Parts: sequence; structure tokens; C-alpha cells
Amino acid sequence: MEGTVRFEHHTFGQRLGSMVKVDFRRMFTQPLVYIMLGVCLVLPVLILVMTTMAGGSAGGGAAMGTFTNVWQAIGTATGAGSGMAMDLTTMCNINLVYFLAAVLVCVFVADDFRSGYAKNLFGVRPQKADYVISKTAVCFVGCAGMMLCYFAGAMIGGAIAGLPFDLGTASVGSVVLCMLAKIFLLAVFVAIDLLAATIVKQRLWASILAAVAVGMLLFMMIPAMTPLNATFLHALMCFAGGALFGVGLGALSALVLNKTSLV
Amino acid sequence: MNAIEIRGLTKQFGSKQALAGLDMTVPQGAIYGFIGENGSGKSTTEKLICGLLVPSGGRIKLFGRDYTDADVRAKVGLLIESPGCFPNYSVWNNMLLQAANLGIKNAAEEVRKVLRIVRMEGSASNKFKNCSLGMKQRIGIAMALLGDPALLILDEPLNGLDADGMRIMREVLVDITRQYGCTVLISSHILGELEKIATHYGIIRQGRMMCEMTAEELDRSCPTYIALRGADMAGMERLLSMRYRRVEEENGDLRVYDAVAPEEVTAYLYGQGMLPAELTTAKIGLEEYYIGLMGGEVKR
Repeated sequence: MEGTVRFEHHTFGQRLGSMVKVDFRRMFTQPLVYIMLGVCLVLPVLILVMTTMAGGSAGGGAAMGTFTNVWQAIGTATGAGSGMAMDLTTMCNINLVYFLAAVLVCVFVADDFRSGYAKNLFGVRPQKADYVISKTAVCFVGCAGMMLCYFAGAMIGGAIAGLPFDLGTASVGSVVLCMLAKIFLLAVFVAIDLLAATIVKQRLWASILAAVAVGMLLFMMIPAMTPLNATFLHALMCFAGGALFGVGLGALSALVLNKTSLV
Repeated sequence: MNAIEIRGLTKQFGSKQALAGLDMTVPQGAIYGFIGENGSGKSTTEKLICGLLVPSGGRIKLFGRDYTDADVRAKVGLLIESPGCFPNYSVWNNMLLQAANLGIKNAAEEVRKVLRIVRMEGSASNKFKNCSLGMKQRIGIAMALLGDPALLILDEPLNGLDADGMRIMREVLVDITRQYGCTVLISSHILGELEKIATHYGIIRQGRMMCEMTAEELDRSCPTYIALRGADMAGMERLLSMRYRRVEEENGDLRVYDAVAPEEVTAYLYGQGMLPAELTTAKIGLEEYYIGLMGGEVKR
């Protein structure tokens, strides 16, 4: 009856590779990510078209704090005056994606715990750190897609609303860097969302609330970190911040998973 | 080498002590029936072995290695409470995901193989949410069998299975232990089924291991008895009690537990002017043994 059990060595790379493959497959074969991408595409169109209509004309919107330029949906150039002012253009721009990202990440992670899939996962080969790295990577890609969809939606919405595409002090290059900075910054938010989701596990609403609440604290800093006239330094700082927070908060998420019950 | 070795395992949930220094030894290749009342700590122990809960104290070793070792965990198959599947995915896709998690190279072939073992190959395209409870349990078993596990941990796998499902499960478990030397830790309240396959038993009570024994030891511990039925049960009981030390009424039978030959009992009753209508010799089963143990009066 007794025989020798041979254990094959599974490297970190092998484990992570399988995990990432599974997570990508899960992310992109479920409707959730496509719904979120759709929301990100449609939302700016609705915001721009409806606020412009409410403002009466593209030019008259300024008094109401509505959009007078397409690029306001993406960001505000530093030195433009309204960088930190809380009006419609700073509240309802591309930075909303950071909150929508919380929904994507929290639903994606909570699904693992609600379905019992986490039991299958952690009971066998994958380690908690593999899980956190894989989830961070896959959610980051999903959220970056959402960011790009919002950008595309803003362009479409601006064109429909007849808003000017005048870049002012910014340039095409700085807009690209601004978008890059925003995407890099997503890593921080994804890590926060993941931490919230791993703490509360299957309690989806609690994780979304926690992630959004923490996101609110950082929300005011986003325009300053990712202005429309961003430079290479902005992108680099956001990349470094994203990497540092991603690793730090990721380690914290792995610790939470290691120290708490998974069922 | 033991497949599972647990020493002094404790688990505290707030003020509730779920496990209070549990010791457990599961030999390699055994089908270990893990028995206990509700809330005795069976599921907690299994979840701890699977790494789903964090122990408060104690040590768990799987095949002589730490239980968190990824290489050892890759050879563990589990079904804890219910199979962890995504309801909107097909059975096939759920299986493929788990195969990928385990790093199985020929995933499709392996999935087909395990689905065939649990006789579910025809339902692979069904959405998991549309499967019956029994089908879900079988899928859970199939999932646990992925990657040729050396250790299977099954928490109440017989729940929801019909008679055919139970038979299949029995055959599968016996087959994988005989053919592949797989060790199975199985907890179940359906003791009659467990008795048919288990080679070892562990009985847990209030977070402690009451006793561990092999099937042979259990067999030796379970006494034989003579069961009698007749028209005048009260009179027969009175007569038998005068002669034999332990006479009990159970399930409408009179049972004589003293190690005596049936012919002697018949001769005695005949001598007293009474003959039983029915007389059989039997042995108490695991269920009765367990109930007796829990009640503090083990029938020996």
C-alpha cells in the first residue's frame, strides 16, 4: 500500500505563469470587464454631451463650471488656475476611472471567495503571494483598458458635443505622458482595492466601500500628479509611486491572506 | 512515512476553542475515516490541513514536509464542503481553470480522464449552476482528482449523492488508493458507507482525538451478538437476563452480547418452554460502535 510519493518542484515562475494565465482567462471571459469598459466608454460621452446641453452652449458653460474644452475631461494643465478647484470638470473627468477600477477589482476578487474558488486555489499549489501578484497584474491591465476607453469616450463625446480640442499650453506629447502617468498611478489604486478586497474577502460591498473611501483621500492629489501638460518626470514619478505602492501594498495583501482565514 | 502527521493542533475562534491539541496520524495509502459529531472540529481540522485557516498552535506535516510547501500542496486534492466553481462557467471550463492552477500540461486530456472516472463526461458542457447537488459533488471529486494527487481531503463528499453516486464514489476511492497509492482523508456522517471503504478511523470529540484505529482494530472492538425475536419479548428478556450478563432491546430485537453460541441460547430457551421465532448472529457496525462511544458506553 505504501509507496514513495515524488514531489515535482514548482518554481515561482511556473506557479505565477499558470496563475496569471488563469486570471487573464477569467478576467476576459467574464462579462464584468466588458461592462466596465463599456461604462468607461459611454460615461464621458454622456457627461460631455449632457453638461454641454445643460450649459446652453460650449462657450457659456464656463460660468457653470461645466466643460468648455474636450481636454478638461482628461485633466487640467498646471498653472491653468482651476487645478484644485472642485467643480464639475475636476469631479467628472477621467479620474472617475480610479473609482470604477475599485468596482472591477473588488468584484473580481470577491468572486473568488464567494464561489469557493479560493479554496481550490489556496488548498493546492498557488501561494498567496502568487495570487496577489497575478491579481494586481491582471486587474492593472483591465483598469488600464478602462482608462483608455474613457479617453476614447471623451474624444467621441467632445466631438458630439462640439467642444473645442484646443490643447492650450499642453501638447500631444504631454497628453500622452499625462495618460501614461494616470495609467501608472492605477497601480496604486489597484493595490489599495486589492488590499481592501483581501481583507473583507466575500463581502463585496464592504470592499468597494473601503476601496472608494481610501480612494477619496487620494483623489485630490491626482490632478496635481497627472496634469494635462505632464512631463516625463510626472510619468516617472507615477511609475515609481505605482511600483512602490504596488509592491508594498501587495506584500500587505499577501500578509493578510497568510494571517487570516480564507473560508 | 505518514501522509498526515498532526501534533498539538489548536484553533481558537474568538472565545471558542475549536481544536484543543489535536494529534492525528494518517498513514500513507490509507482511507482514513474522520468521524465526529457536528461541531467537533472535523471541518476545522481539514481546513487547517488545506491551509484555508491559520492554526493557533501546533504542527502539521504532509509527507514529512511542512504543510505550506507548494510542492507538497501540488499533490493535494480537496473537496471542502462544496466544489469551488464559478456558477456561470461550464463544468469543462471550471475544470480547465483548476488544471491550469495546478500547472497540468495536458489539461484537456487530464480533465477528460477525471470526468470519465466520476462518470460525468457527458455533462462537461453544462453550466455549473445548472448541475444537481449530486453532480456538483462528483465534479468536486473530479476536480480533487486532477493532477494525480497523493493526498485527497474530502469533507462530507457523500452529501447529496444518490445510491449510484455513492457506489461510484466508493469505487473511485478504493481504486485510486489501490492503483496509485493515494491517501484519502474523508469525513462523513454516513458511517455505513464509510465503513465499507475505510482502512483507518479517527474519532474526534470537542476538538480532541478520542481514538485512532485501523479497520481491523475496529472489527476486533465491535462485539458479535445474538439477536432474537419472538411472540413474548418481555418473557424472553426476563429469562435471558436471568442467565446472561448483557441483554438489551434494540430496534425491536433482544440482543445477547455475551459470547455464547446460538445453539446454547436456543437450548436454554427451549428448556424454559420458550422458542424464539427468529435468531440471527450479527456484529455491531461502525455506527453503533460510534454511538456507543459518544454515549460513553462502548459495546464490547
